[in-house]
Amino acid sequence: MNYDDETLMAYADGELDAALTAEISAAMETDPVLAQRVERHRVLRTQVAGAYATVLEQPIPERLLAAANAPAAPRLAGDSPRGEVAQFPGRAALTEGRPWGGREWLALAASLVLGMLLSWQFLSPSERSMVVASNGALVARGALARALDSQLASTQRAEDPVQIGLTFRSQDGSYCRSFTLTRAATAGLACRASGQWRIPVTASAAASEGGVRQAAAPPSAVVSAIEARIAGDALDAPGEETARLGGWDARPE
Amino acid sequence: MTADAEEISVRLVALLPRLRRFARTLSRSQHDADDLVQLALERALRSLDQFREGANLASWLFGIVKNAWIDSCRARGRRQEVPLPDDSGEHPAISPGDSEASLWSVSEAMSKLPEDQRLAVGLVLVEGMSYKEAAAVLEIPIGTLTSRLARGRSALAATLSAEGPA
Repeated sequence: MNYDDETLMAYADGELDAALTAEISAAMETDPVLAQRVERHRVLRTQVAGAYATVLEQPIPERLLAAANAPAAPRLAGDSPRGEVAQFPGRAALTEGRPWGGREWLALAASLVLGMLLSWQFLSPSERSMVVASNGALVARGALARALDSQLASTQRAEDPVQIGLTFRSQDGSYCRSFTLTRAATAGLACRASGQWRIPVTASAAASEGGVRQAAAPPSAVVSAIEARIAGDALDAPGEETARLGGWDARPE
Repeated sequence: MTADAEEISVRLVALLPRLRRFARTLSRSQHDADDLVQLALERALRSLDQFREGANLASWLFGIVKNAWIDSCRARGRRQEVPLPDDSGEHPAISPGDSEASLWSVSEAMSKLPEDQRLAVGLVLVEGMSYKEAAAVLEIPIGTLTSRLARGRSALAATLSAEGPA
Protein backbone atom coordinates (compact mmCIF):
# COMPACT_ATOMS: atom_id res chain seq x y z
CA MET A 1 0.00 0.00 0.00
CA ASN A 2 1.34 3.38 -0.96
CA TYR A 3 0.63 6.41 1.19
CA ASP A 4 1.22 9.97 0.12
CA ASP A 5 3.32 12.27 2.22
CA GLU A 6 0.38 14.31 3.53
CA THR A 7 -1.22 11.16 4.87
CA LEU A 8 1.98 10.12 6.61
CA MET A 9 2.38 13.61 8.04
CA ALA A 10 -1.17 13.46 9.40
CA TYR A 11 -0.37 10.03 10.83
CA ALA A 12 2.72 11.38 12.58
CA ASP A 13 0.62 14.25 13.94
CA GLY A 14 -2.06 11.91 15.25
CA GLU A 15 -4.67 13.41 12.94
CA LEU A 16 -5.94 10.30 11.15
CA ASP A 17 -9.03 8.35 12.12
CA ALA A 18 -8.62 5.14 14.06
CA ALA A 19 -9.02 2.81 11.08
CA LEU A 20 -6.38 4.47 8.91
CA THR A 21 -4.07 4.90 11.91
CA ALA A 22 -4.25 1.17 12.60
CA GLU A 23 -3.71 0.36 8.95
CA ILE A 24 -0.57 2.50 8.71
CA SER A 25 0.76 1.25 12.03
CA ALA A 26 0.44 -2.29 10.74
CA ALA A 27 2.03 -1.42 7.41
CA MET A 28 5.00 0.21 9.19
CA GLU A 29 5.71 -3.08 10.94
CA THR A 30 6.62 -4.72 7.66
CA ASP A 31 7.76 -1.74 5.62
CA PRO A 32 10.93 -0.09 6.97
CA VAL A 33 10.88 2.58 4.26
CA LEU A 34 7.39 3.62 5.28
CA ALA A 35 8.42 3.62 8.94
CA GLN A 36 11.36 5.83 8.09
CA ARG A 37 9.19 8.33 6.20
CA VAL A 38 6.94 8.63 9.25
CA GLU A 39 9.94 8.92 11.51
CA ARG A 40 11.27 11.87 9.49
CA HIS A 41 8.03 13.75 10.17
CA ARG A 42 8.29 13.01 13.85
CA VAL A 43 11.92 14.06 14.05
CA LEU A 44 11.22 17.36 12.31
CA ARG A 45 8.29 18.06 14.57
CA THR A 46 10.39 17.39 17.65
CA GLN A 47 13.26 19.49 16.33
CA VAL A 48 11.10 22.51 15.50
CA ALA A 49 9.02 22.36 18.68
CA GLY A 50 12.15 21.85 20.76
CA ALA A 51 13.92 24.84 19.22
CA TYR A 52 11.18 27.23 20.28
CA ALA A 53 10.72 25.72 23.73
CA THR A 54 13.44 28.02 25.06
CA VAL A 55 11.21 31.02 24.36
CA LEU A 56 8.86 29.83 27.11
CA GLU A 57 11.68 30.05 29.63
CA GLN A 58 12.73 33.57 28.81
CA PRO A 59 11.76 36.45 31.09
CA ILE A 60 8.61 38.23 29.95
CA PRO A 61 9.31 41.87 29.06
CA GLU A 62 7.60 44.25 31.42
CA ARG A 63 5.91 46.12 28.58
CA LEU A 64 3.97 42.95 27.72
CA LEU A 65 2.99 42.38 31.34
CA ALA A 66 1.77 45.96 31.49
CA ALA A 67 -0.24 45.50 28.29
CA ALA A 68 -1.81 42.27 29.55
CA ASN A 69 -2.66 43.95 32.83
CA ALA A 70 -4.27 46.94 31.15
CA PRO A 71 -7.85 45.72 31.79
CA ALA A 72 -7.18 45.61 35.51
CA ALA A 73 -5.33 48.94 35.42
CA PRO A 74 -7.19 51.20 33.00
CA ARG A 75 -5.08 54.20 33.85
CA LEU A 76 -1.99 52.52 32.50
CA ALA A 77 -3.51 52.11 29.07
CA GLY A 78 -4.82 55.20 27.39
CA ASP A 79 -6.66 53.28 24.71
CA SER A 80 -8.08 50.48 26.78
CA PRO A 81 -11.82 50.04 26.75
CA ARG A 82 -13.69 51.65 29.56
CA GLY A 83 -16.23 50.32 31.97
CA GLU A 84 -18.64 47.77 30.64
CA VAL A 85 -16.79 47.33 27.37
CA ALA A 86 -14.26 45.27 29.27
CA GLN A 87 -16.85 42.71 30.16
CA PHE A 88 -15.60 39.20 30.15
CA PRO A 89 -17.71 36.37 28.85
CA GLY A 90 -19.16 33.81 31.18
CA ARG A 91 -17.67 30.58 32.33
CA ALA A 92 -18.54 28.74 29.15
CA ALA A 93 -15.94 30.81 27.33
CA LEU A 94 -13.17 29.40 29.45
CA THR A 95 -13.64 25.87 28.26
CA GLU A 96 -10.50 24.50 26.71
CA GLY A 97 -12.58 21.81 25.14
CA ARG A 98 -10.52 18.66 25.33
CA PRO A 99 -8.62 16.48 27.77
CA TRP A 100 -5.13 17.51 28.67
CA GLY A 101 -2.40 16.38 26.34
CA GLY A 102 1.18 17.45 25.83
CA ARG A 103 0.30 20.95 24.84
CA GLU A 104 -1.73 21.61 27.96
CA TRP A 105 1.08 20.39 30.16
CA LEU A 106 3.46 22.58 28.23
CA ALA A 107 1.15 25.48 28.81
CA LEU A 108 1.09 24.62 32.47
CA ALA A 109 4.86 24.51 32.56
CA ALA A 110 4.84 27.90 30.90
CA SER A 111 2.59 29.37 33.50
CA LEU A 112 4.80 27.97 36.24
CA VAL A 113 7.79 29.59 34.68
CA LEU A 114 5.76 32.73 34.40
CA GLY A 115 4.84 32.59 38.05
CA MET A 116 8.48 32.54 38.96
CA LEU A 117 9.37 35.25 36.49
CA LEU A 118 6.62 37.49 37.73
CA SER A 119 8.24 37.62 41.10
CA TRP A 120 10.96 39.87 39.80
CA GLN A 121 9.68 41.03 36.44
CA PHE A 122 6.40 42.53 37.40
CA LEU A 123 7.47 45.77 39.01
CA SER A 124 4.63 48.19 38.51
CA PRO A 125 1.45 46.31 39.23
CA SER A 126 -1.94 47.78 39.66
CA GLU A 127 -3.45 47.74 43.11
CA ARG A 128 -6.52 46.23 41.51
CA SER A 129 -4.73 43.15 40.31
CA MET A 130 -5.32 40.02 42.31
CA VAL A 131 -1.69 38.94 42.23
CA VAL A 132 1.11 41.47 42.49
CA ALA A 133 4.82 41.41 43.16
CA SER A 134 6.11 42.78 46.43
CA ASN A 135 9.72 42.59 47.57
CA GLY A 136 10.49 39.86 45.09
CA ALA A 137 7.53 37.65 45.95
CA LEU A 138 4.07 37.32 44.48
CA VAL A 139 1.38 38.31 46.93
CA ALA A 140 -2.41 38.23 46.84
CA ARG A 141 -4.40 41.43 46.54
CA GLY A 142 -7.97 42.47 45.98
CA ALA A 143 -10.65 39.83 45.77
CA LEU A 144 -8.12 37.02 46.12
CA ALA A 145 -6.65 38.45 49.33
CA ARG A 146 -10.12 39.01 50.75
CA ALA A 147 -11.14 35.43 49.99
CA LEU A 148 -7.95 34.02 51.51
CA ASP A 149 -8.54 36.12 54.62
CA SER A 150 -12.16 35.34 55.19
CA GLN A 151 -13.60 32.60 53.02
CA LEU A 152 -14.04 29.10 54.44
CA ALA A 153 -14.05 26.03 52.23
CA SER A 154 -16.88 24.66 54.34
CA THR A 155 -19.22 27.55 53.71
CA GLN A 156 -18.19 28.98 50.36
CA ARG A 157 -20.68 29.06 47.52
CA ALA A 158 -20.02 27.47 44.14
CA GLU A 159 -20.48 30.84 42.45
CA ASP A 160 -17.79 32.58 44.50
CA PRO A 161 -15.11 33.74 42.05
CA VAL A 162 -12.36 32.46 44.32
CA GLN A 163 -12.70 28.88 45.51
CA ILE A 164 -10.64 27.84 48.52
CA GLY A 165 -9.30 24.30 48.43
CA LEU A 166 -7.12 22.93 51.21
CA THR A 167 -6.01 24.88 54.25
CA PHE A 168 -3.03 23.47 56.13
CA ARG A 169 -0.03 24.24 58.30
CA SER A 170 3.28 24.25 56.51
CA GLN A 171 6.42 22.82 58.02
CA ASP A 172 7.48 26.27 59.27
CA GLY A 173 4.14 26.58 61.09
CA SER A 174 2.59 29.17 58.79
CA TYR A 175 -0.82 28.63 57.21
CA CYS A 176 -1.19 27.86 53.51
CA ARG A 177 -4.36 27.71 51.43
CA SER A 178 -4.82 26.44 47.91
CA PHE A 179 -7.20 28.39 45.73
CA THR A 180 -8.77 28.48 42.28
CA LEU A 181 -9.79 31.59 40.39
CA THR A 182 -12.62 29.83 38.65
CA ARG A 183 -13.32 32.14 35.75
CA ALA A 184 -9.64 32.78 35.17
CA ALA A 185 -9.00 29.00 35.13
CA THR A 186 -6.00 29.53 37.36
CA ALA A 187 -5.11 27.64 40.52
CA GLY A 188 -2.45 28.40 43.06
CA LEU A 189 -1.16 28.12 46.57
CA ALA A 190 -0.93 31.00 49.03
CA CYS A 191 1.07 30.92 52.26
CA ARG A 192 0.90 33.41 55.09
CA ALA A 193 4.08 35.43 55.61
CA SER A 194 4.57 38.84 57.22
CA GLY A 195 0.86 39.55 57.32
CA GLN A 196 0.37 38.86 53.61
CA TRP A 197 -0.53 35.90 51.43
CA ARG A 198 2.50 34.96 49.40
CA ILE A 199 1.93 32.88 46.30
CA PRO A 200 4.73 30.40 45.61
CA VAL A 201 2.97 28.76 42.67
CA THR A 202 0.20 29.34 40.17
CA ALA A 203 -0.87 27.07 37.33
CA SER A 204 -3.54 26.83 34.70
CA ALA A 205 -6.43 24.89 36.15
CA ALA A 206 -8.14 22.23 34.09
CA ALA A 207 -11.31 23.72 32.69
CA SER A 208 -14.30 21.66 31.75
CA GLU A 209 -17.67 22.41 30.27
CA GLY A 210 -18.94 25.37 32.19
CA GLY A 211 -15.61 26.40 33.63
CA VAL A 212 -13.36 24.91 36.24
CA ARG A 213 -14.92 21.99 38.00
CA GLN A 214 -15.30 22.86 41.63
CA ALA A 215 -14.40 19.36 42.70
CA ALA A 216 -11.53 18.95 40.26
CA ALA A 217 -8.15 18.08 41.67
CA PRO A 218 -5.71 20.99 41.58
CA PRO A 219 -3.08 21.00 38.83
CA SER A 220 -0.12 18.76 39.62
CA ALA A 221 2.18 21.73 40.15
CA VAL A 222 -0.05 22.97 42.95
CA VAL A 223 -0.31 19.47 44.41
CA SER A 224 3.49 19.21 44.41
CA ALA A 225 3.78 22.57 46.14
CA ILE A 226 1.30 21.43 48.78
CA GLU A 227 3.09 18.13 49.30
CA ALA A 228 6.41 19.93 49.65
CA ARG A 229 5.06 22.10 52.45
CA ILE A 230 2.30 20.35 54.34
CA ALA A 231 2.96 19.28 57.91
CA GLY A 232 0.41 16.74 59.07
CA ASP A 233 -3.09 16.76 57.65
CA ALA A 234 -5.13 19.50 56.05
CA LEU A 235 -7.33 21.40 58.51
CA ASP A 236 -10.92 20.32 58.94
CA ALA A 237 -13.75 22.85 59.01
CA PRO A 238 -13.41 23.78 62.72
CA GLY A 239 -9.63 24.02 62.33
CA GLU A 240 -10.03 26.31 59.36
CA GLU A 241 -12.39 28.56 61.28
CA THR A 242 -10.09 28.69 64.32
CA ALA A 243 -7.19 29.68 62.10
CA ARG A 244 -9.25 32.43 60.54
CA LEU A 245 -10.31 33.75 63.95
CA GLY A 246 -6.65 33.83 64.90
CA GLY A 247 -5.94 36.06 61.90
CA TRP A 248 -3.83 33.32 60.28
CA ASP A 249 -1.05 34.03 62.75
CA ALA A 250 1.47 31.23 62.85
CA ARG A 251 1.76 30.15 66.45
CA PRO A 252 3.39 27.01 67.61
CA GLU A 253 0.84 24.23 67.94
CA MET B 1 -16.91 45.00 35.96
CA THR B 2 -13.71 45.12 38.01
CA ALA B 3 -13.64 41.40 38.71
CA ASP B 4 -14.01 40.60 35.00
CA ALA B 5 -11.16 42.93 34.16
CA GLU B 6 -8.99 41.20 36.73
CA GLU B 7 -9.86 37.81 35.32
CA ILE B 8 -9.04 38.71 31.78
CA SER B 9 -5.72 40.15 32.92
CA VAL B 10 -4.85 36.94 34.72
CA ARG B 11 -5.69 34.92 31.63
CA LEU B 12 -3.79 37.22 29.31
CA VAL B 13 -0.71 37.11 31.51
CA ALA B 14 -0.92 33.32 31.61
CA LEU B 15 -1.00 33.23 27.80
CA LEU B 16 2.00 35.53 27.33
CA PRO B 17 4.66 32.80 27.11
CA ARG B 18 2.75 31.01 24.36
CA LEU B 19 1.96 34.23 22.49
CA ARG B 20 5.63 35.19 22.55
CA ARG B 21 6.61 31.77 21.30
CA PHE B 22 4.09 31.86 18.46
CA ALA B 23 5.20 35.38 17.50
CA ARG B 24 8.79 34.17 17.54
CA THR B 25 7.96 31.52 14.94
CA LEU B 26 6.89 34.41 12.70
CA SER B 27 9.72 36.86 13.45
CA ARG B 28 13.40 36.12 13.48
CA SER B 29 14.18 38.39 16.40
CA GLN B 30 12.56 38.18 19.81
CA HIS B 31 12.33 41.95 19.87
CA ASP B 32 10.17 41.97 16.74
CA ALA B 33 8.16 39.09 18.16
CA ASP B 34 7.49 41.04 21.35
CA ASP B 35 6.44 44.11 19.34
CA LEU B 36 3.97 41.87 17.59
CA VAL B 37 2.58 40.47 20.85
CA GLN B 38 2.22 43.97 22.27
CA LEU B 39 0.38 45.16 19.18
CA ALA B 40 -1.89 42.12 19.33
CA LEU B 41 -2.67 42.65 23.04
CA GLU B 42 -3.59 46.25 22.37
CA ARG B 43 -5.85 45.25 19.52
CA ALA B 44 -7.42 42.47 21.55
CA LEU B 45 -8.23 44.79 24.43
CA ARG B 46 -9.81 47.30 22.08
CA SER B 47 -12.07 44.65 20.62
CA LEU B 48 -12.89 42.52 23.65
CA ASP B 49 -16.55 43.03 22.88
CA GLN B 50 -16.02 41.00 19.70
CA PHE B 51 -14.80 38.02 21.66
CA ARG B 52 -17.58 35.51 21.22
CA GLU B 53 -19.18 33.79 24.13
CA GLY B 54 -18.05 30.18 24.08
CA ALA B 55 -14.91 30.86 22.05
CA ASN B 56 -11.43 29.89 23.13
CA LEU B 57 -9.48 32.91 24.34
CA ALA B 58 -6.13 31.46 23.25
CA SER B 59 -7.35 30.77 19.72
CA TRP B 60 -8.83 34.23 19.48
CA LEU B 61 -5.54 35.83 20.53
CA PHE B 62 -3.46 33.68 18.19
CA GLY B 63 -5.74 34.85 15.39
CA ILE B 64 -5.12 38.47 16.36
CA VAL B 65 -1.34 37.88 16.41
CA LYS B 66 -1.67 36.33 12.95
CA ASN B 67 -3.60 39.32 11.58
CA ALA B 68 -1.21 41.81 13.18
CA TRP B 69 1.73 39.98 11.66
CA ILE B 70 0.19 39.86 8.18
CA ASP B 71 -0.59 43.58 8.43
CA SER B 72 2.98 44.36 9.40
CA CYS B 73 4.31 42.22 6.54
CA ARG B 74 2.08 44.16 4.15
CA ALA B 75 3.15 47.47 5.67
CA ARG B 76 6.77 46.62 5.01
CA GLY B 77 5.88 45.97 1.41
CA ARG B 78 6.86 42.35 1.65
CA ARG B 79 10.44 43.39 2.10
CA GLN B 80 12.65 40.36 1.91
CA GLU B 81 14.12 39.61 5.27
CA VAL B 82 17.86 39.70 5.00
CA PRO B 83 19.61 36.94 6.87
CA LEU B 84 21.72 39.13 9.12
CA PRO B 85 22.36 38.35 12.75
CA ASP B 86 19.52 39.92 14.71
CA ASP B 87 19.67 41.69 18.02
CA SER B 88 19.58 38.41 19.86
CA GLY B 89 23.30 38.20 19.20
CA GLU B 90 25.98 36.61 17.09
CA HIS B 91 25.75 33.34 15.29
CA PRO B 92 26.05 30.93 18.16
CA ALA B 93 28.65 28.24 17.88
CA ILE B 94 26.76 25.21 16.70
CA SER B 95 26.99 22.34 19.10
CA PRO B 96 24.61 19.44 19.50
CA GLY B 97 22.00 20.05 22.14
CA ASP B 98 22.72 23.76 22.36
CA SER B 99 19.26 25.28 22.65
CA GLU B 100 20.28 28.76 21.45
CA ALA B 101 21.95 27.33 18.39
CA SER B 102 18.96 25.18 17.66
CA LEU B 103 16.57 28.13 17.99
CA TRP B 104 18.82 30.17 15.74
CA SER B 105 19.04 27.62 12.95
CA VAL B 106 15.34 26.72 13.06
CA SER B 107 14.40 30.44 13.05
CA GLU B 108 16.60 30.91 10.01
CA ALA B 109 14.92 28.06 8.22
CA MET B 110 11.46 29.32 9.22
CA SER B 111 12.23 32.81 7.95
CA LYS B 112 12.72 31.38 4.47
CA LEU B 113 9.19 29.97 4.38
CA PRO B 114 6.31 31.84 2.77
CA GLU B 115 4.02 33.53 5.32
CA ASP B 116 1.16 31.06 5.00
CA GLN B 117 3.44 28.06 5.57
CA ARG B 118 5.15 29.69 8.53
CA LEU B 119 1.76 30.24 10.18
CA ALA B 120 0.73 26.62 9.65
CA VAL B 121 4.03 25.28 10.99
CA GLY B 122 3.99 27.67 13.95
CA LEU B 123 0.50 26.70 15.06
CA VAL B 124 0.75 22.94 14.53
CA LEU B 125 4.38 22.01 15.15
CA VAL B 126 5.28 24.64 17.72
CA GLU B 127 1.98 25.44 19.43
CA GLY B 128 0.82 21.85 19.15
CA MET B 129 -2.63 22.73 17.83
CA SER B 130 -4.73 20.15 16.03
CA TYR B 131 -5.28 20.72 12.33
CA LYS B 132 -8.84 21.72 13.11
CA GLU B 133 -7.81 24.31 15.70
CA ALA B 134 -5.07 25.73 13.49
CA ALA B 135 -7.38 25.95 10.48
CA ALA B 136 -9.91 27.83 12.63
CA VAL B 137 -7.28 30.33 13.81
CA LEU B 138 -6.12 30.90 10.24
CA GLU B 139 -9.69 30.93 8.90
CA ILE B 140 -8.90 28.45 6.16
CA PRO B 141 -10.25 24.97 5.28
CA ILE B 142 -8.45 22.01 6.84
CA GLY B 143 -7.33 20.79 3.41
CA THR B 144 -5.60 24.11 2.78
CA LEU B 145 -3.93 23.96 6.16
CA THR B 146 -2.73 20.42 5.52
CA SER B 147 -1.14 21.28 2.19
CA ARG B 148 0.55 24.41 3.59
CA LEU B 149 1.83 22.41 6.50
CA ALA B 150 3.17 19.66 4.24
CA ARG B 151 4.93 22.15 1.96
CA GLY B 152 6.32 24.08 4.92
CA ARG B 153 7.63 20.93 6.54
CA SER B 154 9.24 19.70 3.43
CA ALA B 155 11.00 23.04 2.86
CA LEU B 156 12.12 23.15 6.50
CA ALA B 157 13.47 19.62 6.34
CA ALA B 158 15.39 20.49 3.18
CA THR B 159 16.91 23.65 4.70
CA LEU B 160 17.80 22.02 7.99
CA SER B 161 19.35 18.94 6.42
CA ALA B 162 21.30 21.10 3.95
CA GLU B 163 23.01 22.67 6.93
CA GLY B 164 24.08 19.22 7.87
CA PRO B 165 23.53 17.54 11.18
CA ALA B 166 25.02 19.56 14.00
